[in-house]
Amino acid sequence: MVLTQKIHEAFKGTVERITSPRTVSAFKEKGVLSINEFIVAGDNLVSKCPTWSWESGEPSKRKSYLPQDKQFLITRNVPCLRRAASIEEEYEAAGGEVLLDNEDNDGWLATHGKPKENKHDEDEELPSMETLEISKKNTIQSISSYFGGEEEEEIPDMAEFDEADNLVENDPATLQTTYLVAHEPDDDNILRTRTYDVSITMLLQPELVLEDVSQDHARKTVTIEDHPHLPGKHASVHPCRHGAVMKKIIDVLMSRGVEPEVDKYLFLFLKFMASVIPTIEYDYTMDFDLGSSSS
Amino acid sequence: MLSSMADQVKELILQFAPFQSSVDEGFWHRLSSLKLNKLGIDDSPIPITGFYAPCSHRQVSNHLTLLAESLPPESSEQSLTPAISRGNRNRCPVPGILYNTNTLEGFQALDKQSLLKAEAKKIWEDILSGEAEKDSSLLLRFLVVSFADLKNWSFHYWFAFPALILDPPATVVDLKPAAQWFSAQEVESVTTACNEWRSMCSSTDVPFFLVSISSNSAVTVRHLAEFEACQRDGNKVLFGFYDPCHLPNNPGWPLRNFLWFIFRRWSLQKVQFFCYRENRGFAYLELSLVGEASISNSQESRDHQNMPNAVGWELNNRGKKAPRCISLAKTMDPTRLAIAAA
Repeated sequence: MVLTQKIHEAFKGTVERITSPRTVSAFKEKGVLSINEFIVAGDNLVSKCPTWSWESGEPSKRKSYLPQDKQFLITRNVPCLRRAASIEEEYEAAGGEVLLDNEDNDGWLATHGKPKENKHDEDEELPSMETLEISKKNTIQSISSYFGGEEEEEIPDMAEFDEADNLVENDPATLQTTYLVAHEPDDDNILRTRTYDVSITMLLQPELVLEDVSQDHARKTVTIEDHPHLPGKHASVHPCRHGAVMKKIIDVLMSRGVEPEVDKYLFLFLKFMASVIPTIEYDYTMDFDLGSSSS
Repeated sequence: MLSSMADQVKELILQFAPFQSSVDEGFWHRLSSLKLNKLGIDDSPIPITGFYAPCSHRQVSNHLTLLAESLPPESSEQSLTPAISRGNRNRCPVPGILYNTNTLEGFQALDKQSLLKAEAKKIWEDILSGEAEKDSSLLLRFLVVSFADLKNWSFHYWFAFPALILDPPATVVDLKPAAQWFSAQEVESVTTACNEWRSMCSSTDVPFFLVSISSNSAVTVRHLAEFEACQRDGNKVLFGFYDPCHLPNNPGWPLRNFLWFIFRRWSLQKVQFFCYRENRGFAYLELSLVGEASISNSQESRDHQNMPNAVGWELNNRGKKAPRCISLAKTMDPTRLAIAAA
């Protein structure tokens, strides 16, 4: 879900930049893209970060100003290892964040204030994992099963009727999942891991998604809306600020002597998004240069 | 003493992590719309397409996902537009079938054992006929039974991923991270070859393949049909598949029918397999596994003309063999939507 959700953000930002279809680049001046620039940047994202794909979405929702097969970008099944609140505590403890203010006092976290888990040490990337493995042999598997778990919460259990079905499959070659639960277990380590994929969306009240969004943004820039290309509700980043924020990022880069390139726009954009939704591991772009150095 | 021996034997059995399903909200939206506008009370089985991809993150497995595009389009004119929603590297198409009933009673009364068996039989026949060699996604066939309660906007459903049973089960001879199994030189060339395979339109969504390693460590990824050619060249051959599972000690479900296929097709008793997994969208041999499975060559299994037994009903979120249910009233019920919009 988060995926969709995130995509949606990227998408909406894009749309906003595109609603007045630009032919002249306003990338550096206003932090916005023309349609062609968006396609170029999207192609670049897909090739450098292949977990992202272009999709065409619902035929009825297609926008004529975008190619049919490049309506929006999406990445699915992205893990969300903990809630945003815990990340923020960590930021504060680490003192590592950079808060940039704009005139409206909408503070947002600068991109290099990455959550600790995104730093390079692989072992640190998943603080809860070790505990999981120790606590129960097959628990890891349950993480993903568990995501879908909430969907049944309010639904009457239909298990009564299946007894007669005799669907007992005593198969020694099937790995037994020993840890399947319908609610979040008390174990804090497990509680932290969500994966955003479709089945969770429904179950999670869409509003709960806001738990995975930085609190600075939860009620301001991030809202729950219809997805422009897909059915259902998704968290959305309010588009009107994207240009301004992107402009700021670009200015910061330029002040450091880096010449931003249009095809890297979405990489920058994901950095911005990573600050809004710090818990979700979808920003695979940090290994790439964001522009060419002018030096 | 006895029990510890039993444990030991049990540990040798190659155990597969079950496939996990995930249904996008869009799937239920389109199914509802199909039911209301096109199908009516027609409850014939509907061919659907599921999508999956190799595991792409060390902490989570990938799912077999149903999207709106998994269902046939509602209006026939849409099928005239180019099929742009077909597979890509993150969405390898898998053939499935949906039995959607009109009533809850009908749903409960479905003979699920027979339905699973019928689907497993298709897999078995595709193995025998060689179809599975041409289109390996046939080895991944799945089925879904469902009841769409359009009065309450709730959906009862249950997935099965039919797996043909090897009896006796395959045992593990060796299983370790691919990065440890290959030589350093091979790691590099396997990684390169896999990334090439994944970046080509013609192969990116082909979930089963061969990894052919020549004596000078040159690696190519080939289609299943090229097995004999690889052998003629004297190459070492691994049977690779897109593994949705992330676990360090177990291959994922797709290997089950693949092993049967390999055993039937080439009568191999020792099979070296390669569980292909990715990180950030690229081949990742630290997470990928290489193993060797031993398939018992009993007279019975060699002469197996009859279809083997099959398993594969997915557990629900409570760990029971029972359906799942999801309510979409919040986003689909017109009354609720009207109230929310007011």
